[in-house]
Amino acid sequence: MPSDGFFRNLGRVFSKKPPDLAEQSPAPKLDFILGAEPREKLDPWWWLVAVVVLLAVLLMAIKPDPYWNIFLFVRDGLAITVELTAISFVFIIIVGLFGGLGRIAKNPVIHFIATIYVEVIRGVPLLVQLIWWYFAAPVIIQDIGNIIHFDALANYRANPLFLAVVGLVICYGAYMAEIFRAGIQSISKGQMEASRSLGMSYMQSMTYVVLPQAIRVVLPPVGNEFIMLLKDTSLVSVVAVADLTRRGREFMAAHFNPLEVWTLIALIYLILTLVSARFIAWLEKKRKY
Amino acid sequence: MPEPIIHIENVHKHFGRIHALRGISLDVKIGEVVVILGPSGSGKSTLLRCINHLEVYDHGTITVDGTLLKTAKDINVVRREVGMVFQSFNLFAHLTALENLTLAQRKVRKRSKAEAHKVAMELLEKVGIVEKAHAYPAQLSGGQQQRVAIARALAMNPKIMLFDEPTSALDPEMIKEVLDVMLALAKEGMTMVVVSHEMGFARAAASRAIFMDEGQIVEEGKPEKLFSSPTQERTKLFLSKVLQI
Repeated sequence: MPSDGFFRNLGRVFSKKPPDLAEQSPAPKLDFILGAEPREKLDPWWWLVAVVVLLAVLLMAIKPDPYWNIFLFVRDGLAITVELTAISFVFIIIVGLFGGLGRIAKNPVIHFIATIYVEVIRGVPLLVQLIWWYFAAPVIIQDIGNIIHFDALANYRANPLFLAVVGLVICYGAYMAEIFRAGIQSISKGQMEASRSLGMSYMQSMTYVVLPQAIRVVLPPVGNEFIMLLKDTSLVSVVAVADLTRRGREFMAAHFNPLEVWTLIALIYLILTLVSARFIAWLEKKRKY
Repeated sequence: MPEPIIHIENVHKHFGRIHALRGISLDVKIGEVVVILGPSGSGKSTLLRCINHLEVYDHGTITVDGTLLKTAKDINVVRREVGMVFQSFNLFAHLTALENLTLAQRKVRKRSKAEAHKVAMELLEKVGIVEKAHAYPAQLSGGQQQRVAIARALAMNPKIMLFDEPTSALDPEMIKEVLDVMLALAKEGMTMVVVSHEMGFARAAASRAIFMDEGQIVEEGKPEKLFSSPTQERTKLFLSKVLQI
């Protein structure tokens, strides 16, 4: 559905365009050449990132035992956390986009399905959902396998990482659907009407006219969801995924130093979220046209 | 006698409990310029929007360029022949003036980038705004936006142009620049249906003026005649109010 044009428009939304300046003088055209633009002022909140990073580095440098050891131990968990967040987020955007379109669909069946999805999923805690996918869903799959005598299903063993992604995507997709719905609805009806009056289909109008404008509106709440997701991935530690949090717990269980472990883990999460927040703020600045 | 390009017969439209159109019948021939006027809520915009099926009528028939709208397999085929200009311009806010003109040409008419670009630049030239080709709608005045919107509709080479109160949202000093474009278009022989209270435009360009009230056509005739000696009381009352301004 989101075809080449959609992504090109997406690129346009994110590309830097200083229209007001362009009118006044020809010089700012240089802005489109990489490196030729006047130095962009650094986002002042980067200092907070710097302070937190410095703090973490100092801890590890001054007291390598246990801080550096903790870091070495949880590093693979950190990779899992980042990976899990990134992969889930891509699918969350896709599910959210279709969910949002479903919520505004005129077709009553599609609208009904999308609404039920959003309402049900939003009503169940994420932790419960993750546990359900890890412990309950495999039972259903095995039962079905037994009934239809299909061994591959009957012997299904839960893959923790895969089911964690499924759980996160299904849950966050519902929230994302509402964000997309609101974003699409915030674009004036006249835009769709003008597009349709030119003979463009509903899908073409969505892809080339409404969604590129809606992205601008939804960027802040979508960024918010990303940071929430990053933190909520810590819940997967209870369903056998060796993420940052679970690795921290394992280290603590072996060495009995909760203060050091959880301080460093907290700092690592904080660095991840602060950097994400800066990146989102940068995107928001770029998307202005 | 040439077949009418728009044939409207006994059309009814309800919005919930409001009976917006009550049996409208109207024919528009090729090359005709029809101006529709009437008080707000009289159904004139609704009628216009029914012609390109932005509003779905409940009852009756509308045939545009030989296609019956109700049973049209692909309404987009009809719409590409019917340009529409809105009161609130509705230019695509994220695209430049030029891109506003090329988008539908490329996606609907399947023209090449170069061809769409050429058509767009010619039309921007025609509406006198070529120097703003790379400006975004927010950087244009209302009059400029509406001229781009007209050019955007023309870029599809429509057979019919619909104007829904094209000057109502404009500051007074910008009305003329838009009317001039519309006048030029009428002179070229474009078939136009215009919802507007611009008497000057109606006098200069319209082959027919239609007065609507409460979802019905009350009176129609040559603009001169309708404006100077209306026969219906409602028309007289309305015109006396409009002309006072």
